[in-house]
Amino acid sequence: MPIHEQSLIRPEDLRTHDQLVVDGVDVSGHWSTFIHSRVVSDYNEELQEQIASLPGGEHIHRCWQCGSCTNACTVNAINPDFNPRFWIYLVRMGLESELLRDKEIIWQCVSCNKCTYVCPRDVFPEGVMKALSHWLELKGHTRKSPAMVFDEVFTEQVIQRGRIEEGRLIRRFFARTGQALGQDWLVEMARRLLRHLPLGLLTRMGLASLRAPRTRGWSGARDALNEYVQEQSAAHRRALGLSELIETARQDASGASGG
Amino acid sequence: MSRPVLIVGGGPAGLAAASALTAVGQRVVLVEKAERLGGAPILSGYAKLVPSGEWAKDAIGGMVRRVEAQPLATVRLRTTVASLKGGPGDFNAEFSDGAAVQVGAVILCTGFTHFDSLNKPEWGFGTYPDVVTTAQVEQMISAGTGVRCPSDGRAPQRVAILLCVGSRDRQIGRPWCSKICCTVSANIAMEIREQLPDCHVYIYYMDIRTFGLYETKYYWRSQEEFKIKYIKARIAEVTSDGQRLIVKGEDTLVKRPITIPFDMVVHAIGMDPNVDNKSIATAFGVALEPNGYLERGNSYGNTAETSRPGVFVAGAAAGPETIDDSIAQAYAAAARALPLVHPAQASA
Repeated sequence: MPIHEQSLIRPEDLRTHDQLVVDGVDVSGHWSTFIHSRVVSDYNEELQEQIASLPGGEHIHRCWQCGSCTNACTVNAINPDFNPRFWIYLVRMGLESELLRDKEIIWQCVSCNKCTYVCPRDVFPEGVMKALSHWLELKGHTRKSPAMVFDEVFTEQVIQRGRIEEGRLIRRFFARTGQALGQDWLVEMARRLLRHLPLGLLTRMGLASLRAPRTRGWSGARDALNEYVQEQSAAHRRALGLSELIETARQDASGASGG
Repeated sequence: MSRPVLIVGGGPAGLAAASALTAVGQRVVLVEKAERLGGAPILSGYAKLVPSGEWAKDAIGGMVRRVEAQPLATVRLRTTVASLKGGPGDFNAEFSDGAAVQVGAVILCTGFTHFDSLNKPEWGFGTYPDVVTTAQVEQMISAGTGVRCPSDGRAPQRVAILLCVGSRDRQIGRPWCSKICCTVSANIAMEIREQLPDCHVYIYYMDIRTFGLYETKYYWRSQEEFKIKYIKARIAEVTSDGQRLIVKGEDTLVKRPITIPFDMVVHAIGMDPNVDNKSIATAFGVALEPNGYLERGNSYGNTAETSRPGVFVAGAAAGPETIDDSIAQAYAAAARALPLVHPAQASA
């Protein structure tokens, strides 16, 4: 390989051709290893403000790049590419394309908050990591994982009813993720529950599953929570320059099918 | 009547030395080669000074008026000193116009010369009209015209300030740090953001040296309140795509080359030794240190002294200096000069 600065070249930027002729010259093999331009050609001047507008990201502008957060980081000890200090810099300088290269690992923060306690500038890096994940999600850079769908279903049910009912939770989670309800492990679990649980408890579970109970006097709390959630998500989407329509549509859909 | 003290240079240090000495009844002769007093802050049209935030024309202008109103001060404009003979308490200074005066002591407050950005052609000054210096931006602000691109008068949307232009650069024989440009640049950046809230300002640095209390007042305030971006990169070159300026370099913290469009590029120019220092050294018989500034004696026993007894130095003549410290050094030099013209009082 004729390239000396291997560490600067990301594998996805390498181009190699087994057979390549340019202007009549055969440049096949390693001679034809080309690298896409690494040049950063512009700053996204909104990026820092966008992260600062999301919960947890408010103090990102205080960072002086000492690296205490990365040195203290639990995840960094396992994966050296997980570098909060670096991402904070990218956000502050508006280097969005660089940030997006790490979109698959940014969300791996385990919220241990060691960085929060060690940070000499009170940046709250753990909060920044939350804001970053949130930003990636809102901007559509992160695919919705089954865990995120589960959280949504769970939260919707709590807001609507003030409590959860496991059977309904599982059914709706499966429906929304396109999974069949008759999965072997689930059928087996239901069979054993029926065989081993006391009759009284089974009856109560069955009734709960049918009636989907609600915390008494919950409607006031539900409305307040819904209002707050909508207000917040609208504000976040506005700050990121996104339309507020998607969130409203989802709320409507869940309202119509819930109950 | 005792002999006067000769003060050379009418900038902040010279004015302060004149005030200090006349305040205790001592006569002074103040010579200035320019047509007016005030030194760099007035002659180069500085705007708001660091760290007071006062306008230069008020702060330094006030010092000028106090000296001009002082009957014990004889001011000679458009004048330089041709030669200095004699020793402490008994000098004979001959001026460029042929006149001569007997003086007891001399204080050199001959200041510095702004670095000429033409000596760094790769950064576009002199090639592209929208590449300017910090001194030019100061003038735009102090003249009240606001910060505008010289090419077409538009308000810039994005400004880059390049630090260490003519400082810390062995390539061009200027290894010293000019000390105040980081702070001045932060000050200018905040001023630009205040005037043009939609304009983003980036400062490209090698190190940031907003020393002492400037750390909070300039470095952090510019980031926290004014959202100035500091990028660790020494710029390779400034070019143009025909529309905007293109700044090329390496963001060293990301290890990535950058090629970013800007509307205006500001050189944070450093302080060169006064271009006249060689003739000053000859006329006064004082030594220069290796960089070309006037050489100082040690600060403990011989504060403000040059290599020649009875000839003192204050301010940026002896190395890059802030206005505040130049003034303080001038008071120190005045205290050293006084015993030479009032020996009886000194021994009393």
